[in-house]
Amino acid sequence: MLKLFEREQLDLATLSPEQTAMDVRDLNLRYGQKHVLHNITMRVPKHRITAFIGQSGCGKSSLLSCFNRMNDLIDNSKTEGQIIIDGRDINGKKENLSLLRSQVGMVFQRPNPFPMSVYDNVCYGLRLQGVKQRRQLDDAVEQALIEAALWDEVKDRLFDSATTLSGGQQQRLVIARALALKPSILLLDEPTSALDPLTTLIIEELMAELKKRCTIIIVTHNMQQAARVSDYTAFLHQGALVEYSDSDTLFTMPDKKQTEDYITGRYG
Amino acid sequence: MGKWSIDRVLSNRQQQSYVVNIGAFCAALLIVALVCILSLIALRGLDYFWPQPVQSITFTSPTGQSQQVYAQVGERHINSAQQNATTDVLFQYSDKHYPYGRQVLIESQFMGQITTAPEAANILLNDGTRVFSQPIDIRLPGEETTSLANFQDVRATVADIRQLIESLREAKLAPIHRDLAQLDLRQVERDAPARLRLYESFERWQQEAVRFETQLTDYQLHTRFSDGSEFFIPIDSIARLSYPGQLDTLGKLKLVWSGIGDFLTQAPKQANTAGGVFPALFGTVLMIFVMTILVTPFGVLAAVYLNEYAPNNHYTSVIRICVSNMAGVPSIVYGVFGLGFFVYQVGGNIDKLFFSDALPAPTMGTPGVFWASLTMAILTLPVVIVATEEGLKRVPEGLRAGSYALGATKLETIWHTVLPMASPGIMTGVILAIARAAGEVAPLMMVGAVKFAPNLPFDGEFPYLHLDRQFMHLGVLIYDGAFHSQTDVRSASLMFASCLLLLFVVFVLNVLTVILRRRLRKRYLRGY
Ligand SMILES: Nc1ncnc2c1ncn2[C@@H]1O[C@H](COP(=O)(O)OP(=O)(O)OP(=O)(O)O)[C@@H](O)[C@H]1O
Ligand SMILES: [Mg+2]
Repeated sequence: MLKLFEREQLDLATLSPEQTAMDVRDLNLRYGQKHVLHNITMRVPKHRITAFIGQSGCGKSSLLSCFNRMNDLIDNSKTEGQIIIDGRDINGKKENLSLLRSQVGMVFQRPNPFPMSVYDNVCYGLRLQGVKQRRQLDDAVEQALIEAALWDEVKDRLFDSATTLSGGQQQRLVIARALALKPSILLLDEPTSALDPLTTLIIEELMAELKKRCTIIIVTHNMQQAARVSDYTAFLHQGALVEYSDSDTLFTMPDKKQTEDYITGRYG
Repeated sequence: MGKWSIDRVLSNRQQQSYVVNIGAFCAALLIVALVCILSLIALRGLDYFWPQPVQSITFTSPTGQSQQVYAQVGERHINSAQQNATTDVLFQYSDKHYPYGRQVLIESQFMGQITTAPEAANILLNDGTRVFSQPIDIRLPGEETTSLANFQDVRATVADIRQLIESLREAKLAPIHRDLAQLDLRQVERDAPARLRLYESFERWQQEAVRFETQLTDYQLHTRFSDGSEFFIPIDSIARLSYPGQLDTLGKLKLVWSGIGDFLTQAPKQANTAGGVFPALFGTVLMIFVMTILVTPFGVLAAVYLNEYAPNNHYTSVIRICVSNMAGVPSIVYGVFGLGFFVYQVGGNIDKLFFSDALPAPTMGTPGVFWASLTMAILTLPVVIVATEEGLKRVPEGLRAGSYALGATKLETIWHTVLPMASPGIMTGVILAIARAAGEVAPLMMVGAVKFAPNLPFDGEFPYLHLDRQFMHLGVLIYDGAFHSQTDVRSASLMFASCLLLLFVVFVLNVLTVILRRRLRKRYLRGY
């Protein structure tokens, strides 16, 4: 299998707290009567890319949105269990959601730039935090766009409407928007499913670059992509975590029959 | 497929062609109807400004004597009340008994000859009345006369004197008035020397003004009626003099142009049968403007609550149904509500609380622009709510999620992302509200619109905008005109001209909002 990216392996079983970005313990999620996630327990290593794979409807997106509590927006959702980030349980009652969401950035499947200028899009989060100084905003915008590998393409049209960008540029803009808040964890929900192979490659290279700065969790339906970019892969099935290990192992010699069936395409 | 299924009778192709044809027919019918209405109003409305010829007619009055007069002949009515239907002719004439015009409706059998009279002038006076007569020459002070050719020069002289009188009043008499009022305030005795001095100088300037006034009346236009009798008109009282029979098309167009100018800038005269409509135009626009300012925030807030905050249950759907039904309530009901609740209850209580020293004369507890705007705001609220909700529904969920994911609260998300994207929808609501409010007359007459208001709701007196005042409205003027139209040669046309203006106002306001909506769309909805 093609190896584009360097990997330094950590043993998931013996991850120390310093090496852990997120510690999920006995997480259960219900939408009304529907039990969507069953007892998820896992540790996500810092500064690595972790991929979630699994059949459609198995709960990958739901799990992802537990990590920044986007599920709170759904009326009848109910979360149990703990998710520990930086030593605190984000499911706690006193959790400051605005702070959490700026710390755990999220990028959605379809690019969703706001109908404002490129500049204002990137500033959105900072302005919400009360940053008003022009200089500070200018610097943050430039840095975020450079990190998202978009600066060269949009530096001359910062004040054009963001909706005039191409799909791939929009997706990188949305990533830049999240990066402007300097998140420690970045959640990507099928970020390339609407993009062509070349743009997909750009985004994948971007992820490899970004993992120096933050922990990345990516949901993907593309096995090659998961194998290519991720250091660790978790396979979910019907709301349960079936197998979770480093990507090399998971894709070459999976432990469980279900996993093997899924990755070889005999399943679902 | 049932026995009577349409597919048995017509093929798919035929069905489609029927639908297309019937649809096209309906659309064409609609357009024809619209064009008919618009052209009728436009033609009749512009007719008001088109110079009508002055004719020389002879007619037999009911007393049996025959008379020759200058007149403008108006409409012919079929009088079917009697057994064998006759035609009635309506015309306005001037003679020595009725120099300032008289309207007559007589059966056509009593009409004699009608001939054109190019020598006759249509003399419009400042008070809105018109004299039809033949100018001969001009009388100057000291029994002198001068020819008609100098009419413009004489007018300029007269205007100068008038100006002089006005400035005298303003610069000399008004300050003395103010000083006297001051003395009154300080309760200075009636025979104090300061007071006497003021009285004296007031007397002096007043005499000066009167002297000029009498001088003015010496400038007169000498005219002659059709039967040869003479008539003198003070030049100072003439607003416009024209010979409709001698004008070429260009001259007529010039007259139309200045007529439109007067129509837009002057106040109604002669109980709304002559003059302009400026106060009504102003009142209409002001009312709509205040209504828009009132209804938009309320409607948007209500829609935001319903769409973003209200739980999805029975109560919410009941509220929604109520809102939609409110749009169907007859407008007169809103008028009654505005009068009973806003004017009497709210206004009355405001008077009791804040203006109690002025009672029993009401300050706010009387119909006025503000109450009218508020009533119209309630009336148009459902339209704004429904349109705004449509706009809110169209905002993609993904954008809200994107905003939340950047740490925004619900309020921040609504304010920064949802509302801007819904703004074209809001504008649609505003457009519909304006169109609806501009067309209402009946409820307005209950809460503040009157046939004649002595003051504009806006003047130089603090606080400049007097929203408690009654106001004039184009719709009310049209309604009023419809009553005059049967007895007056010109006011039917005045009514149509007002209609045309009302349409134009609505059109301009709508175009403005449509442009605004397009800009908002381009700004916030491009790519969505
Ligand atoms: N708002 C919701 N209310 C109720 N059920 C929901 C809601 N959102 C998701 N679900 C259900 O939860 C389950 C998991 O959905 P989720 O979106 O997490 O799947 P997924 O793994 O991301 O699928 P996909 O790969 O298609 O995106 C599905 O059965 C879905 O029907
Ligand atoms: Mg999903």
